[in-house]
Amino acid sequence: MKTINFLALVAALIFAVSGTALANDDKYTQTMQKNIQAVYQAQSIPDIQTAVNTFERIAAAEKTRWEPYYYASFGYIMMATREQDKERKDTYLDQAMTGIKKAGELAPAESEVVALEGFAYMIRLSVDPGSRGARYAPVATQILNKAVAMNSGNPRAYSLLGQMQYGTAEFLGSATTEACATLDKALEKFSTFASTNPLAPRWGQAATEKAKAGCK
Amino acid sequence: MKAVFTAILFFTHLAASGQTRIAGRVTGAAGEGIPMANIILENTYDGTSADAEGNFQFMTTETGTQTLVVKVMGYKEYRHAVNLDGKPVTVAVQLEEAINELEAVTISAGAFTASDESRRTVFKAIDIATTAGATADIASALNTLPGTQKVGESGRLFVRGGDDSETRTFIDGMVVLDAYSPSAPNTPSRGRFLPFMFKGTSFSTGGYSAEYGQALSSALALDSKDQAESTRTDIGILSVGGDVAHTQAWDGGSAAGKLQYTNLRPYMGLIDQRIDWNNAPASLEGIAAFRQKVGTDAIVKFYGNMNHSDFSLYQHDIDDSSTKYYYRLQNDYQYMNGFYKDILNENWLVRGGVSYTRAQNNMTYDNRHGLETEKGIHAKTVLEGSLSDHVEIKTGTEVISRDYAWAADSAGSSLSQGFHEVLAAGFAEADLYASNKFVTRAGGRLEYNNLTRQLSIDPRLSLAYKVGAHGQVSFAYGRFRQTAKNQYVRVNQDLDPEKAQHYILNYQMMVSDRTFRVETYYKRYTDLVKYINGDANQLKNAGKGYAKGIELFWRDNKSLRGVDYWVSYSYLDTKRDYLNFPYKVVPAFASKHNLSVVGKYFVQAIKCQLGATWSYTTGRPYNNPNTDAFNGGKTPAYVDLSLNLAYLPRPSVIIYFSCTNLLGRNNIFGYEYSTVQNAEGIYNSRPVRQAASRLAFIGIFITLSKDRSVNQLPSL
Repeated sequence: MKTINFLALVAALIFAVSGTALANDDKYTQTMQKNIQAVYQAQSIPDIQTAVNTFERIAAAEKTRWEPYYYASFGYIMMATREQDKERKDTYLDQAMTGIKKAGELAPAESEVVALEGFAYMIRLSVDPGSRGARYAPVATQILNKAVAMNSGNPRAYSLLGQMQYGTAEFLGSATTEACATLDKALEKFSTFASTNPLAPRWGQAATEKAKAGCK
Repeated sequence: MKAVFTAILFFTHLAASGQTRIAGRVTGAAGEGIPMANIILENTYDGTSADAEGNFQFMTTETGTQTLVVKVMGYKEYRHAVNLDGKPVTVAVQLEEAINELEAVTISAGAFTASDESRRTVFKAIDIATTAGATADIASALNTLPGTQKVGESGRLFVRGGDDSETRTFIDGMVVLDAYSPSAPNTPSRGRFLPFMFKGTSFSTGGYSAEYGQALSSALALDSKDQAESTRTDIGILSVGGDVAHTQAWDGGSAAGKLQYTNLRPYMGLIDQRIDWNNAPASLEGIAAFRQKVGTDAIVKFYGNMNHSDFSLYQHDIDDSSTKYYYRLQNDYQYMNGFYKDILNENWLVRGGVSYTRAQNNMTYDNRHGLETEKGIHAKTVLEGSLSDHVEIKTGTEVISRDYAWAADSAGSSLSQGFHEVLAAGFAEADLYASNKFVTRAGGRLEYNNLTRQLSIDPRLSLAYKVGAHGQVSFAYGRFRQTAKNQYVRVNQDLDPEKAQHYILNYQMMVSDRTFRVETYYKRYTDLVKYINGDANQLKNAGKGYAKGIELFWRDNKSLRGVDYWVSYSYLDTKRDYLNFPYKVVPAFASKHNLSVVGKYFVQAIKCQLGATWSYTTGRPYNNPNTDAFNGGKTPAYVDLSLNLAYLPRPSVIIYFSCTNLLGRNNIFGYEYSTVQNAEGIYNSRPVRQAASRLAFIGIFITLSKDRSVNQLPSL
């Protein structure tokens, strides 16, 4: 009887502990999912900042998860694209890079994080293409190629690479054939994209289609 | 068993029911609301964002003593313990401003920094390469900035009434001796270092950091690029030669080599020159660069440059042009620079290096020969970091050792002179931020010279204050010293260094792609080298002088679509009494007014980048021995309109064309006089003019790389 009682207690504790863990996991996933929707839908800088703040709170509490840093950085990049002032754009991008670095430390094999880093460099470049192009274009291209190599199923890596190639070709007035092929590949990857991670990024398809519209 | 479950249920229930409301307002030092702050209950998901006025409130189910953290960009993190027991908590959050690079005022007096990375730069690294008329020469491009005086026959940097030797070049903090390629008398020389090697340029026209010594007027600090990102081969076919370069990149490092051959002979044969060349200049140059990241935070760089150049010409007698003298100059140059930088931790970094220069000139003039050799080694270590977010420190030590030897022989007699100078120096500088609006930089430089056996201390002081959101005022003061030129020290090794004091006041305003700058200064020269009784072999430090002026700069790449332009104007009032001057006069290299207008335009439709530079310099004095006044003559104004054009038929191919002095103006830089009077008792004269009215240049640059969109445009 004593033994049975003891076993039952152990079982109950295991159940309780794993139950708590499950509950926490649920709470994490649900809060994240809700907030990911918020950052995707936010239009104004304050709205994005609100979502970014939430991701940063979660990141501070969940010290082993890469997703909160990833989405906070994504939000900062979105803020940089909406900001007019060049200095502030750079400040947002600095914040994005800090988050990307942390996400990369937590998930070094995650192609999405590398692709986001390439995105940050693209926006950094766009602040002043004349003087930054020479330095950042090769860096962004190299990083995006790395993201593609890490996961050939990542549509965002292809999409950003394609947009980068498109912009370069347009700037230099050369053919956009290569860029358009990459964008096609990105669209194909978007249609087949699947991830076991419920928090996997889903953004980028609309922008790819928009960029693709320029191709004849 | 039952009790355990009950207990679990009980605690769960308690946690769910006890909610505490936390509210408050986030304000700055003056009580103003700070919007969008992140309010965090540490280690929980609970929290919120402050609204536009700084107000916030949220509910939490947490209990007991917790930490409330408030974070927002530009302010220090705020932490406060709160006790959560269901009763509403109100917190007044007053944030302290963080001193940060972006918001903080920068010292702009005397300084023109060019960098691709830094945001608040007036001048960008790429500007040096794309300024028309500069033909990718660093000094020529900087000559379009305020504070410089154009001296067309020299091509070097003359800053604020100082001569060319008063500007010192540094690569990665290491000194460069003899930074210019040799040139024929009265023809402009080019800098030895190509602009595309560098990611940043800091050109200071006065009041610079205590880190830079041995420069009376100006410090030109060049930061070399880090490792290359991609493997590529570059080929250049030029109207005056050709070059081939290869860069090999790997993860964390790169190596590059370049071989360049320049020969002006065919060009000089084609276009009539005012110089009677025997052999027009030709040079062979090899460059090697190596970069490797060490660990995550350190980088090692090596750079080497070797050059051999040779030319010869005939100089014609002023009185009788059929009499001519043979002149030949062979120059051998080696420069090596090793650099190391390591980020020790979040707050401190150490950098240092060693540079070696060897320059040899082998000269023949008529039946006389001269051999001049200078060797220099510079070793330096600098520690930089912050003691707190209000105090930044830079301190370092360095040793510069120079060996100079000169030997001349003519008609059987020979003479040799030389010296060995060792300078040991230490410097320290602190940036004290009272707030983001106000910074004081104070420091000094301690130097010991083995030749004069003197220990000296030179103070430096700068202040900068932000006025409004976009403007700032800065002031700089400093005392500077520089060993006299080699040709004087070899005659008298006891000569003291020449000295200068700078006082600079600057106002700068930057509003989204438009910059306005005005700067005024006063510079006092003392201990300049002077001849005793007009004898060049008897020298003492009895010379003195001054320079003062006001300068304006306006840059705008916003108002006209696709056009980027800048205008600089410098007014200079300077006089000095040195060398053979009988009294204080304006030196021959100084001009009162300098005006430059530089424009750049990229025409997408025809894939062309167009650039134009117009410069105007008022006349400079020259000494006419036929009149009583010393340096009493004045040349006509110098005017130049230069154009360049880069055409990209394919992304990897660039065709480049440039032409200086498009209008073919006959610019006169001064007059040379005969040493003897003619039959009428007059010294005959001859104007010093450009070797050819125009210098045209055409080149084709091809880049071979895996990534076909890479081209050499940034290097042009």
